[in-house]
Amino acid sequence: MTATLIDGKAIAARMRAETLIEAQALADAGWAPKLVSISVGDVAAAELYVRNQQKQAEAAGVGFESRNYPETISLEQLVGVLSGLNADPRVNGIIIQRPLPAHIPVKALQKAVHPLKDVEGMHPASIGNIVYNDLALGPCTAVAAVEILKTLPLRLEGLDVCVIGHSEIVGKPIAFLMMGLGATVTVCHHMTRQVAVHSRAADAVFVAVGKPGLVTGEMLKPGSALIDIGINRVEGKTVGDADFESCSKVAGWITPVPGGVGPVTVATLMKNAVLATRMQMDHYRSAFAAAV
Amino acid sequence: MTAKVIDGKAFAANVRAQVAAHVAKLKETHNIQPGLAVVLVGEDPASQVYVRNKHASTIEVGMASFEHRLPVDTSEADLLALVKSLNADPKVHGILVQLPLPAHLNSELIINTIDPAKDVDGFHISNVGLLGTGQKSMVPCTPLGCLMMLRDHHGKLAGLNAVVVGRSNIVGKPMAQLLLGDSCTVTIAHSRTKDLAAVCRGADILVAAVGRPEMLTGDYVKPGATVIDVGINRIERDGKAKLVGDVHYESAAAVAGAITPVPGGVGPMTIACLLANALTACCRANGLPEPEGLTA
Repeated sequence: MTATLIDGKAIAARMRAETLIEAQALADAGWAPKLVSISVGDVAAAELYVRNQQKQAEAAGVGFESRNYPETISLEQLVGVLSGLNADPRVNGIIIQRPLPAHIPVKALQKAVHPLKDVEGMHPASIGNIVYNDLALGPCTAVAAVEILKTLPLRLEGLDVCVIGHSEIVGKPIAFLMMGLGATVTVCHHMTRQVAVHSRAADAVFVAVGKPGLVTGEMLKPGSALIDIGINRVEGKTVGDADFESCSKVAGWITPVPGGVGPVTVATLMKNAVLATRMQMDHYRSAFAAAV
Repeated sequence: MTAKVIDGKAFAANVRAQVAAHVAKLKETHNIQPGLAVVLVGEDPASQVYVRNKHASTIEVGMASFEHRLPVDTSEADLLALVKSLNADPKVHGILVQLPLPAHLNSELIINTIDPAKDVDGFHISNVGLLGTGQKSMVPCTPLGCLMMLRDHHGKLAGLNAVVVGRSNIVGKPMAQLLLGDSCTVTIAHSRTKDLAAVCRGADILVAAVGRPEMLTGDYVKPGATVIDVGINRIERDGKAKLVGDVHYESAAAVAGAITPVPGGVGPMTIACLLANALTACCRANGLPEPEGLTA
């Protein structure tokens, strides 16, 4: 059997088209969505990524401003910048590009973003909302991976799901998102004794570890869905965490890398931008409309 | 085989004694007394018993106890004002608003108004997220108590298969996070899980928090597993009222390696952990090292 390839680019294009309609409606109401991207220091590594976000933002009708601050900026200064953006009604979402210099702890910055402008879904309050099943603004990669699974003809209630990797930005939020959808979720990681025992029992496997070739075909249940979130460079090629060759012979559906979760992640960021803008508009109206 | 019975009463007494020793030392070396404020709105009889017990336990370990009993028709604005004044009070290190609140009050809003650093129940949305991202937080008391008992019984938990049955916000979900934090392979099972017995039988650690009397029988338990029963259900048997857990004790104890009874298992740990959290909050507020073994 050969797995059906999941076309992440097509899913992303559909999402962008929906986002564009929403963005235009918000613009008509005077709330044109706008993102601000913050990067610090020499960002050759992130530059390609930022440019791609900018391009996708334009396609989704979302404004995008890229700001780069010098390596020498202090944490306090950056928090000050974020406070300004939090207060600025023309800015609806803030993206903090990684990597950051060593003296800037990323968590401190994520906490300084107002939860209503947290389009990356990294503020503790955003994660807390996910745990409590309020799925407003979620971490983009995790949300994208789950959105992809939702496009498949699978009943999510009672679905046996195995998440390999328990990172705070991907593995754990996927586990909570899937649990919220009624799945039975098992989270595996580097201390798990036999990952294959868990993955082979699963109807859907998410892998987000950063180790090429970690998941092989024999670790999968025939006909299951494999969502590969890994992005690794091997001999000049981009590959995921799954051994595509063997997995695609066993799985029922598989995401390619590249072209799987990646494009949907950026599309989710834009969707979050529109969601955040709408939340801010509603918040503003409920707080001040009475006075008008 | 017969399971070792994990004595929650003795364990909780030990935790309270440790808290008391820390409190005494804080007074002696820093002249600081941890303070816990409990807010009760209305006259729910069960809540009144809880609040009374909390007050007595707080005094017993040497902390300051601040009780606020408000009438059932207290307005949201008044309750919010009280919470804010407790947030600002330097003598108060922990704030607990007893749930459930009367229907006209928005519990979510009130809980999220508590300063997260003083949120000794660990229900503030920021604490939920901090726990979810492996950062320092206030951890809900009941799962914290379960974690302490598991660590005590097993030593290291890394690599063990843990199954948490039940996905409530106050027990199941934080329990899963804590077990992941200790590097267990964690499965969260619930009412929609297919073949629950088979899933549970894969567990070295089985935590039951579903609220269904005696649902998990010995058939759900792997031989030698540790069973933690969080359930407290009041049932009637032979014309008498009886407290039972979510686990069918006799059949499970015949298979398990260790098991918590109901009552006398997890129950007593909840208040002990509340005191531990108040102590932790006090240490953090004063920039002092956290009490060892009393936090996640």
